[in-house]
Amino acid sequence: MTGMTIAQPEKIDTLLPGLDNEGLARVQAETPSKLLQEKRAAAYADYRQLAWPTVRDEEWRRTDPSLFPLAEMQRLPDLAAQDVWTAHPWDAEFDVVVAVRPDGFAIRHQNHTARELGITVLPLAEAAATRPDGVEPYLRGKALPTPSGKFEALNDAFWNFGLFLHLPAGVQWERGLLVRYEMDQPDSLLIPRLVVVAEPQSRGMMVERLQSPDDIRFMAVPQRELYVQEGADFKLVSLQEWGLNSYQVSNDWGLAERDANLNWITLNFGSARSKMKFGGDVAGPNSAADMDGIFFASGEQHMDQRTLQIHSSPDTYSRLLYKGAVKDVGRSVYQGLIIARPGAIRVDAYQTNNNLVLNEGARADSIPGLLIDADDLKCSHGSTTGNLDPEQLFYLRSRGLSEAAARRALIQGFFEEVIDRIPQAVIREQVHQHIEQKMES
Amino acid sequence: MTDKTPYFEIKDLHAATEGKPILKGVNLSMVKGETHALMGPNGSGKSTLANVIMGHPAYEVTAGKIIFEGQNVLEMEPEERAQAGIFLAFQYPVAIPGVSVAKFLKSAHDATHGKKKLNPAAFLKQLREHIKYLEVDDAFINRYLNDGFSGGEKKRMEILQMLTLQPRFAVMDETDSGLDIDALKVVSKGVNKLTGPDFGLLVITHYERILRYIHPDHLHILIDGQVAQSGGPELVKKLEEEGYDWVREEFGQEVLAH
Ligand SMILES: Nc1ncnc2c1ncn2[C@@H]1O[C@H](COP(=O)(O)OP(=O)(O)O)[C@@H](O)[C@H]1O
Ligand SMILES: [Mg+2]
Repeated sequence: MTGMTIAQPEKIDTLLPGLDNEGLARVQAETPSKLLQEKRAAAYADYRQLAWPTVRDEEWRRTDPSLFPLAEMQRLPDLAAQDVWTAHPWDAEFDVVVAVRPDGFAIRHQNHTARELGITVLPLAEAAATRPDGVEPYLRGKALPTPSGKFEALNDAFWNFGLFLHLPAGVQWERGLLVRYEMDQPDSLLIPRLVVVAEPQSRGMMVERLQSPDDIRFMAVPQRELYVQEGADFKLVSLQEWGLNSYQVSNDWGLAERDANLNWITLNFGSARSKMKFGGDVAGPNSAADMDGIFFASGEQHMDQRTLQIHSSPDTYSRLLYKGAVKDVGRSVYQGLIIARPGAIRVDAYQTNNNLVLNEGARADSIPGLLIDADDLKCSHGSTTGNLDPEQLFYLRSRGLSEAAARRALIQGFFEEVIDRIPQAVIREQVHQHIEQKMES
Repeated sequence: MTDKTPYFEIKDLHAATEGKPILKGVNLSMVKGETHALMGPNGSGKSTLANVIMGHPAYEVTAGKIIFEGQNVLEMEPEERAQAGIFLAFQYPVAIPGVSVAKFLKSAHDATHGKKKLNPAAFLKQLREHIKYLEVDDAFINRYLNDGFSGGEKKRMEILQMLTLQPRFAVMDETDSGLDIDALKVVSKGVNKLTGPDFGLLVITHYERILRYIHPDHLHILIDGQVAQSGGPELVKKLEEEGYDWVREEFGQEVLAH
């Protein structure tokens, strides 16, 4: 390392306008619940103390934090529930739909199913005000790491859209929730906060769709917190389609208790630059986490994803498969870490990251890792990075497919294992289209 | 009267890979409707010849010609060869995870049938018939191409592709290897479904066994990148009894005599 100069990132001042004392005071004035006021104040104290990450932090070494124009963004005032409804073709696939826009959000029940099952989909502020005891343990709860990171603390202090989803014990919710973001206000900052609690033996699913137009600059700092309790099963699919001038730093945490199953699928196609972190903790014996991801960075996109498979209990299972492609001068980073806490014996943990580098000039970095403080575990991590296999290309071409068609088939095929795990045909189709468009662009 | 002008012809073909010459002047000519067999010891260049016919990019053709129905095959891309009606059943078909058999076969059919494409329902009907004919499990069509297939399944898959694409000239590279007698019969049945006055077949094999089911009009023996012997079906019997040594000897003497 001697003689190497590390580029100094532009310093983001600790207190950005709107994300400072004054900003907090304004936010607190808008916050109706005492519980939330306390949580925000505590988070703000952390946020003030924490330094902004720099490229000297291992986690940010390949994704310079100064490339995110946070300082130039205006935090949107707290989004309020109001009639901002516009219909969306996917709505019919779900029981409940939440439409989020810069000027507010709307929650719609498409039918009676969720209410009949006793499922709660509420603005987080309202949930905290009306049932503080039901929210308190799950907001900055034990799924989150301590100490908090800067962006987590920022989200906790300044979130401007919050949603609370609660599944009572034993309910089987097939069709689930769609949360769709349609953000089109230039230079605005959206800070979404999602809390999901799936009570024992319940089963449910939610999908997020994140969209903004290509021609506006926009930034999102989402945080999601998921509690999958004893024997419950919860699946989250997040389709990131932010416009090509948008930025995102997200932090997501899920915790699976005894016998529970946590399943998280991230689909990253949009944004100029994005950095996501997802930590899944299989925290109770016999719990399992399935973590799947697709990312495709084309043009000048930069996508960074970090995953943590945290085994804090014995007899736990986690399986991760992240598949990415880079094209043009696109760039991707995948950093994975399997963590087995002391005493976490009889653990099965699998981590696979496959990258397709479709042309010279594109780049994919893959950094798998293990942090093991236990023995008696089955653990594997592997990654591959390369272009399409010439033998496979030839095989398809020998059957009459043009080179372009053969490449498309192989690239779609490369992602298919993950696409197959998406429950909704409409979303699988959308993913195919994204891949197709990226191939053609 | 049958047309005796060659419709498939290889002339003095030389090919190399990574600078190493493998084919050293192959000559072979076929009349429409004929079945030829190509035999030869391991490493003699049989698969290389098959791959060069199909246009595999790993091989460089350094001299010679391949003509099919008057077209200069060596100037065509692999897909153009397939579209012209040439087919290769691979010795080692690759697996393509994520691409389903049905979807792949439909695209291949569309790509090779130009204006005579079938609508999805008609295509599926035809596919089901072929599958039944080849005694393949119905679930096959929803699996990923060759992914996790047994050796025998892969070979049947090649024949299924051949039936789907309906080529006018096919090369089968050791499709019989590793098949038990029942599988061999099924494969032969599939092949014989295509044979006729408008179909030419080049069967590459290691064993005489398959030639009991697919009857060649001519047999060629490839040794060290050259056709050392050509003859009628009687050659099969001689090979069966005496192996390749006599071919080597005769060929060697011939080479020395020049
Ligand atoms: N792609 C390749 N790269 C390197 N060597 C090759 C390649 N293909 C064939 N060869 C070599 O060429 C020779 C002939 O191989 P092949 O055509 O497979 O023979 P056959 O099918 O008759 O057994 C062998 O020595 C083999 O190792
Ligand atoms: Mg061979």
